[in-house]
Parts: sequence; C-alpha cells; structure tokens
Amino acid sequence: MRLLTEAALLGLASGPACLASCGPVLTPWLVAERAGWRRAFGLLSVFLGGRLAGYLLFAVAAGLAGATMPLGARERALLFAAAHLGLAATLVAYGLRPRRRAEPPLVTIGPARRSWMPVLLGLFTGLNLCPPFVVAAVRAMETGSVTGAVLFFLAFFAGTAVWFVPFAALGALRVAETVATVARFTMLALAAYYAYLGILTLLGRLLHG
Amino acid sequence: MADYAAEPASRGIGRSLLLTLPVALWALLMFSRALMLPGVAVKVAALLTLVFLVTLFFQMVRTRQTNRWRRWFFATLGFLFPIGFVWELVALRGSMSIPMEKMIAGDTPFCFMVIPMILLPAALTRTVIFPGAILPTASNPHSIAAMIGLWMAATLVLGKGWCAYGCFFGGIEEGVAAMPRKARVRKIDGRWRLVPWAVLAAIVLLSLATFAPTYCEWLCPFKTITEYAEVRSIETAIQAGIFLSLFFGLVIVMPWLTKKRTQCAFFCPFGAFQSLFNKIHIFDIRIRRDQCTDCVLCQNSCPTMALNKQSVADDKTLINCMHCGACVDICHKDAAVWHIKGTPVGTAPERARLLHLYAAWGFAIMFGGSIIAGTLTKMLGFLG
Ligand code: SF4
Ligand code: SF4
Repeated sequence: MRLLTEAALLGLASGPACLASCGPVLTPWLVAERAGWRRAFGLLSVFLGGRLAGYLLFAVAAGLAGATMPLGARERALLFAAAHLGLAATLVAYGLRPRRRAEPPLVTIGPARRSWMPVLLGLFTGLNLCPPFVVAAVRAMETGSVTGAVLFFLAFFAGTAVWFVPFAALGALRVAETVATVARFTMLALAAYYAYLGILTLLGRLLHG
Repeated sequence: MADYAAEPASRGIGRSLLLTLPVALWALLMFSRALMLPGVAVKVAALLTLVFLVTLFFQMVRTRQTNRWRRWFFATLGFLFPIGFVWELVALRGSMSIPMEKMIAGDTPFCFMVIPMILLPAALTRTVIFPGAILPTASNPHSIAAMIGLWMAATLVLGKGWCAYGCFFGGIEEGVAAMPRKARVRKIDGRWRLVPWAVLAAIVLLSLATFAPTYCEWLCPFKTITEYAEVRSIETAIQAGIFLSLFFGLVIVMPWLTKKRTQCAFFCPFGAFQSLFNKIHIFDIRIRRDQCTDCVLCQNSCPTMALNKQSVADDKTLINCMHCGACVDICHKDAAVWHIKGTPVGTAPERARLLHLYAAWGFAIMFGGSIIAGTLTKMLGFLG
C-alpha cells in the first residue's frame, strides 16, 4: 500500500514534467480535432489508455527481465529511438489524414470506423522515457516482481493522468478551419523534430556502439 | 461621407520639401552625435546615410509611392547588416562561430526572433531560456533587455510593419526578390501562408517542453550570415546543414524564383507572432469595393501573400500585412488605400499614408539608419 501511495504521489508530483513532455503532441492534435466536449473527453481517454498500455508494456518487459536497472544504455537508446520514430510516423499520418466529412453520410452500414491513432499517440508518448518515467521505472524495478512493477506503474499513471484532464478543453474548442489546418501543420513540424531525435539517437548508437 | 476625389499623380517640389522637413530634422538629430565625432569615416558615413534616408522620404512624399522607395532602404539595410554584425563579431572574438564557453558565459547576442519562445517559459518559471546577458556588457552589447525594449517600441509604432521597416533579415530577401525582372514560379498555394503559424506553435510548445530556444538551435536560416555554434559534433553539423539549406532555399533561391519574401511569408515564426500586433495597430490597408475591378494586381504584388480573393472581396488584407504599400502603389484604380482604423474607408488615404510614414520612417532612421551608418563607418575606415 505504501508503495502504491508513493507511486501515485510520484505521478502527481511529476505532472508538470509529463505535461511538458506530452503537451507538444496533445495540444495541436486536440485543437485539430475540433471535437466538442464529449468527444474530446473520449479522445483524451483513448490517448491515456494508449499511454497506460505503454507503461504496462514497459513494466511487464522490465519485470520479466528482472533487472535492477530498468534497461541497459543500449536498450534504452533503442527504445527511445523507436518511440520517437513511431510518434513521428503517427503525427505525420494524423497531419496528412483527409479531414473528417463535415456532414455524416445519410446511411452508415457496418460498425463505425475507429482510428488507432489516439492509442498510438498515447503509446508512443508513454514510452518516450521522459525523466519522471525513468524515475518511476527504477522504483518499479525495485519491487522485484512483474505484479509489483505493473501495480506501481498503474498507480503512477493514475497520479499523472489528473494533470491531463484540462487538455480536454482544447479539444472542445470549435476553432476555425484555418486554425485546425495550422494545428495539422504543427503536427508535421513536430513530427520532423521527433523523427530527428529518433534518427540522431540511432546514429549515435551506430557510430559509438 | 468618404472622400474619393482622385489625388494628383505627384506633389510639387516645394510642398514635398515642406512635408519632408520634419523627417530631415529628426534625421539630423539622430545623426548629430556621429557628425560631431572625431574621424572622417564616421562623419562621411553619417552624412551619406542621412542624405540617403531623407532623399528616399522626399521621393515617397513627392511621387506618392511608398514601396518603390522603401525597398531601397530595406535592401540596403539587409545587405549591410550582416557585414557590420560579422565585422563586430570577428573584432570581438576573432570568428563568426560562438564557442560553448562564450554561450555558457551568456555572451550570445540576443536576437528579436527569440522573443516568442522566451515569453511563456519566462512567465511560468521566471527563467529566460536564452544564453545571453540581461543587461549590456562590454563583450555583448546586444543584451536581452535592450532588444526587448527596442522590439516593444517598434511594435507599438509599427505593428507588423516591423517586417517592412525594421527587420534586417527581411531586407536580404527583399533585395534578392527585387533582382529578377519576372517571377518564374507564379502559382503558390495560399495554404503555405499558414506554415509560419505552425512553426510558431511548434517552437513555443517545444521551448516549453525542453526549456531551450528551439528555433535558434535548429531552424534559424540567418545563422548562416550571423553566428552559429561551433561545429563540434554530428548534432552541430546537422544544425549547420539545416541553417544553410533554409537560408539558401528560402532567402535566396525562392525569392529569386517567386519575387516574394518566401522566408517571411512561408516560414518565419516571428513574423507570424508580430502579425498579432496588427490587431492593435491604428493603420491598415483597405480596399474600396466600389473602385476595385478585381484585377488581382495587388494580390500578385504582395510580397507576403497578405491579400487573396476573399480578403479583397471583404475589403481588407489578411492579418500578415506588413504595411509595405506595394499593393497601394500598384493599384491603378486607387482602390487599395491606406486607412486609419475607426474612420470610413477612403477618407483622406494620403493623409493616413503620410502619418504612417512619419512614424515608420522615424523608426527606420533611428534603428536601420544607425545600422547602415555603423557598417559604412567600418567599411570607410577599412578603406582608409
Ligand atoms: S489592384 Fe486595385 S483594382 Fe486591382 S484587385 Fe487590387 S484593389 Fe482591386
Ligand atoms: S497587403 Fe499590401 S501593404 Fe500589406 S504586405 Fe501585402 S502588399 Fe504590402
């Protein structure tokens, strides 16, 4: 119990750092969505679900590895590069995706089309090894078991998630078409930045072993 | 009732001289110190600059054309600024590149381009995310406080007009764009105009996230002709590659092909940020719908694509208008006019133009004039 409280508090205290890390992705994405309150909360929940999945994947992998340090320098660099490249690819796909139709079709046959992009955005931002994530990973490993690590990350996630709620307001904004287009361009610009970070990390690994 | 009476094509010399007198006196005041300094070079440079700027103003008054003469000042500023700046850097530290030690010591000259990036981190954490000095020092006279003060004054006086009367970087593009007789690339999708806003949003968000001046580190085309971090790693080599490509692509090649200020129109985040201040600026350009023939000459002439079909139909420019006056100069129907907000469109547009010009040229003499005179002094001194 003490450990879970510690994890939740760590999550709460890390909120500003999490926002700084995920804010650049969340802000243009939600503005571009022009979703309205209900859908904005829905999208945010899916994003957070993806982020939680990222945490848990990491917890299980690291717990199974049974290491005292979450990952070696090499693996950390590879994960960092993969997460950034994945994030860049998702942002590009999102930025270039054809816009939703203004009017729904008169008849829709079959289940509504769901987009995996919010999950992917959440997953890749969840795995991007920001400082609070690394601190949480070290503490989770010290629990010494997969279950302990998973529980630790669950509580840590709950603590950080509180900070994300205000972002729904961005999604609720009914901004003009021009602003939404700017937000899409912004996602492409950010994609270039994350792709660059990923490639530079990979190059560094290749050149310096 | 709007006064639509056509103005005569050009003013008489006597009246033009009279209207130029306040600017001539202001220029004299601005350069009086330099004119009294010992040394021939400094005196000659100040006198040449004074005569140059006052003559241009006289021509603007006499011919009623703005952009045609403003361009000469602006291109000269754009050409001479990097020479003077690099000259100063080489004299101070022997090279254009800034070593890491100097950055840590806060010796990086502050540039106005950084302003949009530092505002939010400074407001949230009281930290200025730029490796410069707050107040001027002997080794770094371009301090943060001085540049922000200057920017605030310019913004109050000019709004987005900073990009047409103050920004020396824009002057380089303007000079290049003026060289070819015809544009080779004419069809440009209007959505490119939104890119500077996206770059602005991206650098503000990333600067908040990383607490580093992202634009300066990664995207500034003008590092090519001012100063850059020493190339010591793959990262700094990539940065230098980005600076060079952006500079040659957006500041040299594209303006040459399009005759537009492509860096300003399609990339510059500071320009986008500065556009916001057009909202509080008292002058703007309007279209008299009853005179307009929808000939699109004004749209084609605008260096920053601040006019499109819709905006002309709505009788105004887009938010990124920098008040260069090219559209007014070219409009053969006197439909594009200078305007003071809150007054009916077409009321004494020439008076609005002159009032705007007094403010803008006053600033140009003080800021751009001192840069031109400073560089000329160095060059004349060098020539002996
Ligand atoms: S140049 Fe003059 S007449 Fe032609 S479209 Fe522009 S405002 Fe109208
Ligand atoms: S709209 Fe006219 S004044 Fe404004 S930037 Fe374009 S050409 Fe210059």
